[in-house]
Amino acid sequence: MISQTYVTRREPIGNSFVRNRNTVRHTKKSLGSISQVVIIGMLTLIFALIYVAEGTKATSFDYELSSVESEITEMNAKLEDLSVEKARLTSVATAKNSTVAAAMENATVTGYVAE
Amino acid sequence: MSQNKTISKIRILRYVILAALFIIVARLFFIQIIEHGQWVAKADEQHTLLETITPKRGEIYMMDDDEPVAVVLNQSTYQVVIDPAVTEKAVIEEVVNKYVRDYAVADLDEVYSEEGLRYAVVAKNVPREIAEEINESGATAVWLKKTNQRVYPEGDLASGLLGFVNSDGVGQYGVEGSLNDTLAGKEGLIKTTADVNKVALSIGNDNVKIPAEDGANIVLSVDRGLEKGVEELAISAVNDTAATNASVLVMEPDTGKIVAMANLPNYDLSNYSDVDDASAYINFTTEVPYEPASVCKSLSFSAAINEGVMTSSTTYFNQGYEIVDDWKIQNAEQRSMLYGTIDMKTALYWSLNTGSIYALKLLGGNPSAINQTGREKLYDYYYNKFRLGQITGIEIIEAEGFIPDPNEGWGRDSVYANMTFGQNLGVTMVQVASAFSAVVNGGYWRTPTIIEGNLVGNEIVPLETEKVEDKILSDETSAMMREMLVNNRNYKVNGGIDRAGYSVGGKSGTAQVIKDGAYDDTMSETVGTYIGYVASKDEMPQYVIMVKMSGEGAYLDGGIASNLFDTVSNYIIDYYKIKPGA
Repeated sequence: MISQTYVTRREPIGNSFVRNRNTVRHTKKSLGSISQVVIIGMLTLIFALIYVAEGTKATSFDYELSSVESEITEMNAKLEDLSVEKARLTSVATAKNSTVAAAMENATVTGYVAE
Repeated sequence: MSQNKTISKIRILRYVILAALFIIVARLFFIQIIEHGQWVAKADEQHTLLETITPKRGEIYMMDDDEPVAVVLNQSTYQVVIDPAVTEKAVIEEVVNKYVRDYAVADLDEVYSEEGLRYAVVAKNVPREIAEEINESGATAVWLKKTNQRVYPEGDLASGLLGFVNSDGVGQYGVEGSLNDTLAGKEGLIKTTADVNKVALSIGNDNVKIPAEDGANIVLSVDRGLEKGVEELAISAVNDTAATNASVLVMEPDTGKIVAMANLPNYDLSNYSDVDDASAYINFTTEVPYEPASVCKSLSFSAAINEGVMTSSTTYFNQGYEIVDDWKIQNAEQRSMLYGTIDMKTALYWSLNTGSIYALKLLGGNPSAINQTGREKLYDYYYNKFRLGQITGIEIIEAEGFIPDPNEGWGRDSVYANMTFGQNLGVTMVQVASAFSAVVNGGYWRTPTIIEGNLVGNEIVPLETEKVEDKILSDETSAMMREMLVNNRNYKVNGGIDRAGYSVGGKSGTAQVIKDGAYDDTMSETVGTYIGYVASKDEMPQYVIMVKMSGEGAYLDGGIASNLFDTVSNYIIDYYKIKPGA
């Protein structure tokens, strides 16, 4: 970057300058070696943080996945339990021993309607 | 002088440092180069999750009103495990009494009296809800170990048919054993990088995940309600007689489909190791060849009729016995009215051995003697057409049995004479039932089947297995045999056992048992068998029923077996609401 220095005409200036004339002085500045190291270090740190953040994000997804899988296993176990319960409730033995079955009477004659 | 000393010390220090560096480098070389593989393996062990994914074992279903109903299911249960060395007995007692009293399997006094014991299962088959309660209670003295077990909502129904799964997860006996590969499915594999909590991470280049393939759900053609009813009738028959075992097979003769397969006594499938006699595991209808005795007359008569050398009215002279190869073969029925010239219908009705021997003679073209032609023709019918003595192709474990060679060996004539009435051969019930089905269904031998298909979603997908349908007898032969078999049961009709409006045909058999290498002529122990069919009057047979009753040291004849057949045939008429014919 080139900086500009403005000098007012009302202020006294050195002999090399003409009175009441605006002058511009161009000076060239560059970063020192320490600043460069600091900037590179910071950039490296930022990239490292981004890398770690992404890595952590992937791992957190893995944890989420693991949790969902556990939930699926749990739900499947519950489904199994319910299927077993349903099968037990609808088993022949249960039906036969039910109060409804106990109240039934044996059919003595089966009638058939002529076609 | 002192300066020289200092230089010397520095040198020594330098050497020491160099030596230390050398040791470090050498050690690093050793670790990183020489023991590289070993350390990589250790690191992998810590960071790699390697697990097999256990597939879900297929469930087993029966049919009920055209709908599949589960008879074998899976359920996750838990075992409660303790370390007696680190936990006080009082603490364990409290947990057991509070949560798992009904599932306790160990006597805590015994557990704690055993020195050095570090592992004991104190409760088994603990349901998930209770396991969760224990977990939530924060009880630290116990561990919960998850196990998968088979559950039988119908109790011990059809145990001989179903079989069980052993502690290694392998199916044993019955459907579980026969179709273990289909039911078991295929294990999957997961290999991935894991963190310290053993949570699988998606990072890493060598991750492998092969999903498990669950086992197929199998639907049997067995009708659950009929199976239950048949088993109850068989139990009742066993209780009312000297029999200790009864087997019943019900088959659709027009499809070969088995709708009931009972082997009594049943055993508790959940506690299969508690049986006293391992023969309880055996399916006697398919796995045990035996001599079915006179039920085979329906087969030898069919052969002669089908060859056109005999009809139901063909006559022969019955003197009550035959001498073959110097052996006297007698009829069991010796009433005088049967001596003389009688027809084959009468011979079958009274189950005369001389009648079936005469059929064998006719097969050989010589009414006076058994010959090679007759033996070879009978062998052709028994082995090649009726497929006795060979695997039928049913989907479960079955035995071959045997049919003696018609020419090789001593005393072929007497052996074949005996074979006409079901002795001197070894066949399974399913073989006989398939052959008998061909006799009565119009002459078609069909592969017996007990699998309806695989249950996929709510749909039953039939298995793509090769089934045989072979026309082995003429329509006329089959019709004549039906007439003779129905005639056999005239006394049952007259006795009011067979109902009006139905055609029920059948044949009994009383088999002698071989003891010490010879038939026990005292008849102190016999096996009673009956095979028959039921249909609306004058219609084609709808169900073939075969029963067998046996007991150690018990005399059980075909008449006793026929009583069980009677109850089963009438039960089937009611169960399937078979309409009476005009």
